[in-house]
Amino acid sequence: MTIIDLTPGEVGTINGIKGDRHLQNRLVELGLLPGTEVRLVKCTPFNGPVEIKVRDSYLSIRRDDAKLVELK
Amino acid sequence: MKKSHFVEPKPKAIDPSKWVALVGNPNCGKTAIFNLLTGLNQKVSNYPGITVEKKVGKVYTQEKTFFNLLDLPGTYSLSAESFDEQIVSDQVVSWAKGEDPPSVIVSVVDASNLSRNLYLTTQLLDLDIPVIVALNMMDRLEDVSHIDIKKLERELGVSAVIPISAKMNWGLDDLKKAIQKPIKTREQVDHQSQWIKQELSHQFKSLIDSKFLSSKFAAAQALRRISRNGSINGEDTKIESIRNSISELGYYIETLEATLRYEWIDGIMPLVQPKIKPKIHKETRSERWDQILTHSWMGPGIFMVILYFIFQSIFTWAAVPMDWIQAGIDNISIFVLSNLAPGMLRDILVEGIIGGVGAIVIFLPQILILSFFLTVLEDTGYMARVAFMLDKSMTKMGLHGKSILPLMSGYACAIPGIMSARTIDSWKERLVTILILPLMSCSARLPVYTLLISAFIPPITVGGYFNLQGLTLVVMYFLGTVTALILAKIFSRFIKEKSSSSFVMELPPYRVPIARSVIRQVFIRGKLFMVNAGKIIMAISIVLWFLASFPKVDASVTDVNPIHHSYAGKIGHAMEPVIRPLGFDWKIGIGLLTSFAAREVMVSTLATIYNVEDRGDETVNLREAMQNDVDEKTGKPVYTPLIALALMVFYVFAAQCMATFAIVRQETNSWKWPIFMITYLTILAYTCAFIVYRGGLFLGFS
Repeated sequence: MTIIDLTPGEVGTINGIKGDRHLQNRLVELGLLPGTEVRLVKCTPFNGPVEIKVRDSYLSIRRDDAKLVELK
Repeated sequence: MKKSHFVEPKPKAIDPSKWVALVGNPNCGKTAIFNLLTGLNQKVSNYPGITVEKKVGKVYTQEKTFFNLLDLPGTYSLSAESFDEQIVSDQVVSWAKGEDPPSVIVSVVDASNLSRNLYLTTQLLDLDIPVIVALNMMDRLEDVSHIDIKKLERELGVSAVIPISAKMNWGLDDLKKAIQKPIKTREQVDHQSQWIKQELSHQFKSLIDSKFLSSKFAAAQALRRISRNGSINGEDTKIESIRNSISELGYYIETLEATLRYEWIDGIMPLVQPKIKPKIHKETRSERWDQILTHSWMGPGIFMVILYFIFQSIFTWAAVPMDWIQAGIDNISIFVLSNLAPGMLRDILVEGIIGGVGAIVIFLPQILILSFFLTVLEDTGYMARVAFMLDKSMTKMGLHGKSILPLMSGYACAIPGIMSARTIDSWKERLVTILILPLMSCSARLPVYTLLISAFIPPITVGGYFNLQGLTLVVMYFLGTVTALILAKIFSRFIKEKSSSSFVMELPPYRVPIARSVIRQVFIRGKLFMVNAGKIIMAISIVLWFLASFPKVDASVTDVNPIHHSYAGKIGHAMEPVIRPLGFDWKIGIGLLTSFAAREVMVSTLATIYNVEDRGDETVNLREAMQNDVDEKTGKPVYTPLIALALMVFYVFAAQCMATFAIVRQETNSWKWPIFMITYLTILAYTCAFIVYRGGLFLGFS
C-alpha cells in the first residue's frame, strides 16, 4: 500500500520509501520517516501531483513519487 | 563595508563583532527578519559566477555599533539538492574549513513546524560555531507557552533560543542583544555522530577529512559522502565495509543521516512541546482556503481571472506613468536642444544617451507593476499553489510547475523571467524554461507592434466583434506563446537530464505579505533591470548613434540623404540582399541592427532615419512618414500591410535583445546556450517571416 492508495483525508503510517537516492533523501529530510504519519489531502485531476500533510507541513509531490512511499 | 570581504573569504582570526549568518528553511520568514534587522542598510549582489542573490546588510545596535549580517538562500538541509541549496552547503563547508566563518549563526526556525525546521539546526550545530535559534512565527501558535524555550535551548545545546515574530515585529531587539552578548559555551550535544562513534568509530577514522575544524562536522560530511556513493581518497573497500556494517545494524545507508537526526529530534519533541499532541487530522486555515483556491476546476479558473487582471493592469495602469516618462524624456531632450549649441556633444547627448536611457526607463512602470503582483502572489504563498495545480500540464510540455512564474514575468521582460527561473530545482526544466523565455512577448515588442499595426492594419471590424488591429496584436502574442510551448516539448527531448527531476514542494501557509518586504523586493527587481539592461542598451545606443551620424556629409554638396552615407546606412544597404526576400528594405535593416540594444529601439531608429532624411523640416510623424514612403525608382510604397505583418512575425521570434543573452550566459554559465538561443531564434524568425511574406504574395496579398 502506498500514499496513492489512501482516499483524500485518510491517514497512513510510513513504512519506507523506494526509488532513487535523490528522492529518498529529499523526502526523508522533509520528515517522511518510517513510523511518521501522513495524510493524503488532495489529488489533482489528470494524475497530477498530490498534496500530503506530514508533521506540520503540506507538501506537493508528484503521483509517481507518491507511489514510492510505502505505508504500513 | 568592503565587498571583497565576502567575495573572497580569507582565513582570519574571529573578531566577536565581525559578522553573522542567517540560515533557515524556505518560508521560515528568514528574509523578513533580515529586512527588519537591516532596514535600508543592505546590499544585494550576486554570488560570484552565479546569480543567486547574495544579501548583506548592516545591523545597527543601540550602542551605535554595527555588525554585518549575511542572508543565505533558504534550504532544508546541507546535503544540496537544488542550485540555491548548493550555495548554502558550499558556504557552510568553507566555514567548516575555517575560511572566514561567521562569529554567530542565527538559525531561523518556524515555531509552527518545529521538528522539520530543527533538522537543519542540528546540522549547523556540528560546525562548533555558536548558534542562536530565532524561533519565528510565534504568532501562529495557539498558545505561546506551548514551546518550552528553556528546555529547547538546553536540549539542542544552542547558545540561545529567542522567540520572535517577524510579522508582529516583536522579539527582534532580544535577538539583536543575544547576538551581541558574549556567547555562552554549552555542553556539546551530539545529534548524530555519537552513533557513528559508538558503532563505527575505528572504521570511520580514516575517512575523516582533516581540513575540517570540527570533528562532528567532519564525521557528518564523511557520512554524506558515503551515502552518495562517492569514494573518499580512493578507499573504496573501506567504504564498502562501512556500508555493510550499517546495513547489518538495520539502517539504510541512503537515508542514514536524516534517520539519525530525526530520531534524535523526535526524541526531544515531547519534552519541548509537552502540551502539543500530533495533529495530523487538523485542518489549518490554509487548508480550508485551498478547498476553493486549489479546487480541481475552480482553482485554475481563479488563476485565469488573476492572470487576466494582472495583464490588464500592466497595460492600462502602466500607460499613465509611461506617458509621463515619455513626456519627461522629450522635455529633457528639448531642454538640451535649446540650451546647447549644435554639435557633436548635443547630438550624442540627445540621440545617444537620452534616447538610449529613455528607451529603457520607459519600461520601468510595467516591470514594477508586474514585479509587485508576482511578489505579492509569491509572498502570500499562492504561487506555490499555482505550481501545484499546473505541474501536470507543464510537465506535459517539458516544463515544470515552477516554470509558470518565469514565463509570466517574460511577458513584461525576459530578463527578470530568466533570473527567476533559478527556483526550478531540475536543471533540465530550468534550462528549457530559459530557452523558450524570449518567445514570451515582452513589452519591448509592443511599441513595434503598435507602430506597425496603427500604420498598416486597417481599423476594421472582422467576424462581427473583433477589431482587426486588436486581433492582430492578440495573434502576435498567441503565436509567440504557442511556439514557445511546442519548442519546450522539442527541446526537452534533446536535452540530457543531469539528475532526475522531482517535484517535492512545500505549500506554505497563506499569509498576508509584509508591505515593506514587498516594496523592497519590487525596488530590487527594478534596480536589477535598470542596471543589467541599462548598461548594455546605453552602450549600444551610443555606438549606434555613432554609426548613424558618421561619416558626416556636407548636405549642401549632395541632395542624397546623409544617412545613406553613414556607416549605419552602409550596413543597412549591405544587409538588403539578405532581408529583401522578406520584403524588408535597408531602413528596416538598420532597425533590425539597432534592435540588438532593445527591440523598441527599432521605433526610435526609424524616427531618426526619417528625421535625418527630412533634415531641416519639423519632426515628421513617423507613422505617416512610413505610410507615405515610396521607392525612388518604382514609385511604389516601400511598406505594405503584408511587409508590416512579415516584420511583426519576425519580431515575435527574432533574437534581438543583447541583455537577454548576457543574462542567459550568466545563468547557464556557458556560451553554448546563448549561442544556441540566438541561432534557433534567428532561423525561426527568418523562416516564418519568409513564409508570411512569400506566402502572402503567392496568395495575391500585398
